[in-house]
Amino acid sequence: MEHSDNSGTANSGEFLTFTLGAEEYGIDILKVQEIRGYDAVTKIANSPPFIKGVINLRGVIVPIVDLRIKFSLGEPTYDQFTVVIILNIGKRVMGVVVDGVSDVIQLSSDNLHPAPAFGSILDTRYIVGLGTVEDRMIIVVDIEKLMTSTEMSLVEAAVA
Amino acid sequence: MSIDMSQFYQVFFDETSEHLSSMETLLLDLDVDSPSLEDLNAVFRAAHSIKGGSGTFGFTDMTSVTHVLETLLDRLRKEELQLRPDMVDAFLAAGDVLRAQLEHHQGGPEADAGEIEAVCARLNQLASGEAAAAPVQVAAAATAPEARRTLLDCVLPASVVNDSDMLKNLLDGLAEIAALDIRHRPDAADPRLEGVLTTLKSDDELKEALSFYLSPDEITLSDPDAARETHEVVAAPAGDDGFGFFDDAPGTPAATEASADDGFGFFDDAPGLPDSALDALLAAPLAIPDEDRGGAYGLFEDAAGKRENLPIRDITPGNSPAAIEGQGYGIFVDAPCGVGLFADAPGSQNMLKATAPAPLGNPAGKPTEEAPGRRLNDSPAIETAKTGRRDNDKTVTAANSETSIRVSVEKVDQLINLVGELVITQAMLAEGASYLDPVQAEKLLAGIDLLARNTRDMQESVMSIRMLPMSMVFSRFPRVVRDLAGKLNKQVEMKTIGENTELDKGLIEKISDPMTHLVRNSLDHGIETPEIRVAAGKSPKGTLTLKASHQGGNIVIEVIDDGAGLNRDRILGKARERGLPVNDAMSDHEVWQLIFAPGFSTADVVTDVSGRGVGMDVVKRNIEGMGGRVELESSTGHGTRTVIRLPLTLAILDGMSVGVGGETFIVPITSVIESLQPRLEDIRTMAGDSRMVHIRGEYLPFVSLPEAFNLPGVEDVTKGIVVVVETEDGKAALFVDELLGQHQVVIKSLEENYRKVPGVSGATIMGDGRVALILDVTAVTRMGLANTRRLRAA
Repeated sequence: MEHSDNSGTANSGEFLTFTLGAEEYGIDILKVQEIRGYDAVTKIANSPPFIKGVINLRGVIVPIVDLRIKFSLGEPTYDQFTVVIILNIGKRVMGVVVDGVSDVIQLSSDNLHPAPAFGSILDTRYIVGLGTVEDRMIIVVDIEKLMTSTEMSLVEAAVA
Repeated sequence: MSIDMSQFYQVFFDETSEHLSSMETLLLDLDVDSPSLEDLNAVFRAAHSIKGGSGTFGFTDMTSVTHVLETLLDRLRKEELQLRPDMVDAFLAAGDVLRAQLEHHQGGPEADAGEIEAVCARLNQLASGEAAAAPVQVAAAATAPEARRTLLDCVLPASVVNDSDMLKNLLDGLAEIAALDIRHRPDAADPRLEGVLTTLKSDDELKEALSFYLSPDEITLSDPDAARETHEVVAAPAGDDGFGFFDDAPGTPAATEASADDGFGFFDDAPGLPDSALDALLAAPLAIPDEDRGGAYGLFEDAAGKRENLPIRDITPGNSPAAIEGQGYGIFVDAPCGVGLFADAPGSQNMLKATAPAPLGNPAGKPTEEAPGRRLNDSPAIETAKTGRRDNDKTVTAANSETSIRVSVEKVDQLINLVGELVITQAMLAEGASYLDPVQAEKLLAGIDLLARNTRDMQESVMSIRMLPMSMVFSRFPRVVRDLAGKLNKQVEMKTIGENTELDKGLIEKISDPMTHLVRNSLDHGIETPEIRVAAGKSPKGTLTLKASHQGGNIVIEVIDDGAGLNRDRILGKARERGLPVNDAMSDHEVWQLIFAPGFSTADVVTDVSGRGVGMDVVKRNIEGMGGRVELESSTGHGTRTVIRLPLTLAILDGMSVGVGGETFIVPITSVIESLQPRLEDIRTMAGDSRMVHIRGEYLPFVSLPEAFNLPGVEDVTKGIVVVVETEDGKAALFVDELLGQHQVVIKSLEENYRKVPGVSGATIMGDGRVALILDVTAVTRMGLANTRRLRAA
């Protein structure tokens, strides 16, 4: 994947952290467009369960992915506290549902450790590293690589 | 003065192309017999603005073309000359050249230099064309319409030279294909054959004609004037180049006229020469038979040759040849090649400057000075040259008088999106406010009402920004029709009806190609030649009508001709030839549909206009791609009518909203035939699983949308509704929970941020802000049938 260059810049800088179940994840803040609540989603027939459907974001049709379902973490409940992070990846806009947004943190590459390779749902290909902030472990994800991957089936196979 | 002009280039390009279009429109509307002065002035102003602009931005090639154009226009508007059809042609050609130059500056391919020269020469000739000179031009043009001259130089073998019959044969043979002026007749002492050939043939063809006597390598064919240059060292480069301008088209009226004019200038002072251009021209070879080496080898050429040599010999060494050139050929200084070639000669750009030093330093200045003087007095060139400086000042004011602004489509689309959002927000507000007590919240409710009205008005006006009148498409056809009719020797009158009908910009851009094709077809195959028309009892002039109108949510564009109509037998014959399944019992309508088959052409001869059979199928495909339809009506002997139906815009769709399992879907209204509540006994099964609906004697496939989309829908068939739709595979009955209403919806792309979804052609945003999917009825029918089969099998 040619996006690997981007992770170089993502190695140190500001990250938005969010929680999925008991785990804390971090993504490059520059990829985040906005954070909003979860509301009326139009279902797309015959799509995988983690694709909740599409929403109208000020006239733009945006697909919504529930990462909790994708990674089998946390309880997929939808109420007024459910948070959607709208991402701007390449020229696409897409939203991810998470349990909650916690913080914006600074991480330098010194604080990042490579993730041990073991078979988990979240392939280590998409993990930039593990960061430690005040005893919390933050899993830094290459969100661009993840969202454009074929397994997310968010984009046409030819594009991914 | 170090302002970076390039930042204004785009403005200049846009303005110039606007001026060119308006110029073309005006020219086509001009009544040649009694042109309105106002129109001529308008054309002149357009040309003038282009000239001013191109001068300001340093596009000198365009300045020079517009300058000659302006010269002629100026004479016309001052009523010094009478407008003639050939002038209009020349203007149109000049417009084309300017457009090509404009494209070149915008990064397009380079404009054809030869064409530019030809057009300028034509304009110059027309501008300086006195009535008296006209007959000569015509005669000259008639004898050698496009001839070019070639210097032939070869050494004949002794066997040929010594055999007088063979030599005669050779020369006769040459004379058949070319007018030969022999400069050196071969004889035993010197077997060289030298002469100037004036011919339409190419060099290769000439060599072939001599191949019996000589191998091609032994024949030298060259530019006669280039050859002279090597002999006559005195010739100033600038002068020669200026002359070279005529070499390229010696036989064209322009060149002959120009030579005549120049000859006039120099022979003016020669005693005993008649004082008229025409006579001077004819007398030239007689008066100076020996001046030029080789003697008489062309009527006009001699006159030109004299002109070239005389002044240069007379001048003192210290005098600048360029000045003489600028003076002697003042009128050509503004021709494009003139400018290009004289560019490095000081003072030659400006005729007024060029003439200034000549009288001072030139002892023989008298005759040469007089020559341009005379011509300039009766030529508008000097006036336009004077006005040249004012032009630059005027550009500023021209830009201010624009009544429109240019905005990128992207910005407009963004605006449309935002207004759409505003409408949705307003609807939400209105809904929220509807729970309020009307007495307590009176002011708020009144405000919300006002907001509703304002947003609706605003949406309409914003949508109208993208709408363009059909005249944008129609306006290009007068020219197409005019050119084509001329080429095909047909008389065609073009009418347009409803050119103010508005259509989305995206559609406007896409419709012109198919329309051009239909218009060309009508002219080529439809409208007959005047003779045939008269024989058929019709007026010799055919009529082509372009019509646009609104019909419901569609725009209907018609191309109507009163020509021969489609020939049923011929189409059937061609179809059989191509192995298409046809029979004589087919209805006319079915027969006409055949011409939409790929590669179908009934034209007997393939011309550059049409007949290659690439066409109607492409037209049909293009129009269907825009969501439209094409229909043909024809009556043999009376004409053909092609009807194109298009949706008003690509962005808006008339849809019926249906509810399925709590979700809303939009069915395009164009595909809906009817909807009804089925009775249980209407549902039949075939082979145990495929369900059919029996509607008025027809059995239609029953497609359950809940099953197609795996949604929980009503189980009881009698509680739902079937919507009968027309799909590519025929009619089908879509089973839905309920009908919600009918809307005009804005089509949004799902693929932009997501990907293609089977059975869905796009998405839209409903009044409550939710997203609804637009159904692709054909795909959803296939999908639903497949799903049902799978479900039943499981």
